[in-house]
Amino acid sequence: MIEFSHVNKRYGEYHALVDINAQVRKGEVVVVCGPSGSGKSTLIRTVNRLEEIQSGTLTFDGQNVHAKMSSKELNRIRSRIGFVFQSFNLFPHMSALENVMFSPIRLRGLRPADAHDKAMLLLDRVGLVNKSRSYPAQLSGGQQQRVAIARALAMEPPAMLFDEPTSALDPEMVGEVLAVMRSLASEGMTMMCVTHEMAFAREVADRVWFMDAGSILSMAEPNSFFGNPEHPRAQRFLADLRAR
Amino acid sequence: MLSEVYHIIQDDWPLLLIGQYPNGPLGGIAATLLLSVLGISLAFPLGVLVALARISPWLLLRAPATALVYTMRGVPLLVIIFWGYFLVPLLIGRVVPGFVTMVCALVIYEAAFLSEIVRAGIQALPSGQTDAARALGHSHLGAMRYVVLPQALYNMMPSILSQFVSTIKDTTLGYVINVPELTFAANQINNRLLTKPFEVFFLLAVIYYVVCWSLTQLANWLERRIAAKRAGSGGAYRKDLAVQDGQPLPAEL
Ligand SMILES: Nc1ncnc2c1ncn2[C@@H]1O[C@H](COP(=O)(O)OP(=O)(O)OP(=O)(O)O)[C@@H](O)[C@H]1O
Ligand SMILES: [Mg+2]
Repeated sequence: MIEFSHVNKRYGEYHALVDINAQVRKGEVVVVCGPSGSGKSTLIRTVNRLEEIQSGTLTFDGQNVHAKMSSKELNRIRSRIGFVFQSFNLFPHMSALENVMFSPIRLRGLRPADAHDKAMLLLDRVGLVNKSRSYPAQLSGGQQQRVAIARALAMEPPAMLFDEPTSALDPEMVGEVLAVMRSLASEGMTMMCVTHEMAFAREVADRVWFMDAGSILSMAEPNSFFGNPEHPRAQRFLADLRAR
Repeated sequence: MLSEVYHIIQDDWPLLLIGQYPNGPLGGIAATLLLSVLGISLAFPLGVLVALARISPWLLLRAPATALVYTMRGVPLLVIIFWGYFLVPLLIGRVVPGFVTMVCALVIYEAAFLSEIVRAGIQALPSGQTDAARALGHSHLGAMRYVVLPQALYNMMPSILSQFVSTIKDTTLGYVINVPELTFAANQINNRLLTKPFEVFFLLAVIYYVVCWSLTQLANWLERRIAAKRAGSGGAYRKDLAVQDGQPLPAEL
């Protein structure tokens, strides 16, 4: 469903993604981990072209995302890729409900009444119907992130990308967000998650990609990655993670 | 002194209120308000458009907008008014009423300054807001219209209000090209009375103060309404949340 082939990305002189070759199959859950600055966010942001690449090809559902195309085409591709940010990025001038309704109305031309019903279903699914009229400033971090997931789901994307969705949260709120992600995975959603939640990765991931210095050093089943990582960099990374 | 001011109002209120109208052009407070309302209501949308052009990815829009802003920032409004007054009629070969010249000069000048305020407001927003909108599939303009501008304009309300107040005060410059607005009327009265400049110009100051103060009150009310809406499901206004949400408006000018 998502396929990287010889993808290279530079920020000026800095080589942020080095010859990435990888793929995420339909229905697969991939967890991306690695030390800070290794290029995880950069990698995930190239999938919906929030970041440009310099060479290589990246296809999503058979479409070449980084091909020359009109902004209309690109926007259509983007609307089919759900993206959840570390910092939630809810629209603060809209209520939770409006955050979720807004895009289907503007982009899919849904009637407001239909968009409303659909948004309420999604908010119910993330456990927040009773907060539908609250504004982001009145919600906890965990609640905001769940609204953000509902907002992404409102466009009915066949795949979801998560960039450290729980790292900005207080520990007691991590669970509620992971629970939503878990239920998505169990329904067969194709997911690419940058996260350091090891328990989540072990339980949900089909594969774990370990990144360092812009390269994917290993792609393995979670049990073998966490159980006996072959790469010395990965061993050190896991040791650091457990020591925290 | 106050009784003198009272006498001036009693004798000359029509001149202060509407100028020579209907025997001459509309003047006085009416002309000042009309200039202000036209100036603000045309300069505001134009300022937003110029701001969007200034940050647009297309050079064809960015270059002229930038040139406009730099020119207006570097040249006094009075000079712009003189240009419009003396040069435009030569260029287009017909007489332009002073009032029209004044409105055009005000709109272009204030729009340039407003655009810089709006641009600052847009660029102060965290980039995550545009990222989120783009990731959902919204176009550049869609993201601006529905996500970025509503927040940027709200956050910049205090600065935008200051610019509106400046616009009202800048209408006084119409005086130099004989637009019969409030200052012009006050000067007429002063020239006739000769001995009461302090009273006349005190009255003039009070009138401008009241007009500008009313605008500030209107903006405060609007800001409170928005804050109340965001503080919860149409409930009562909660000051703590309002202040947290954006800077509060300055109480005075
Ligand atoms: N806009 C940018 N301009 C220049 N360099 C950048 C930019 N964004 C990221 N980088 C660099 O690219 C590298 C990879 O950054 P990236 O944000 O992808 O790392 P990450 O693995 O997500 O790290 P973290 O765990 O801290 O989020 C870093 O060294 C960073 O300094
Ligand atoms: Mg990151």
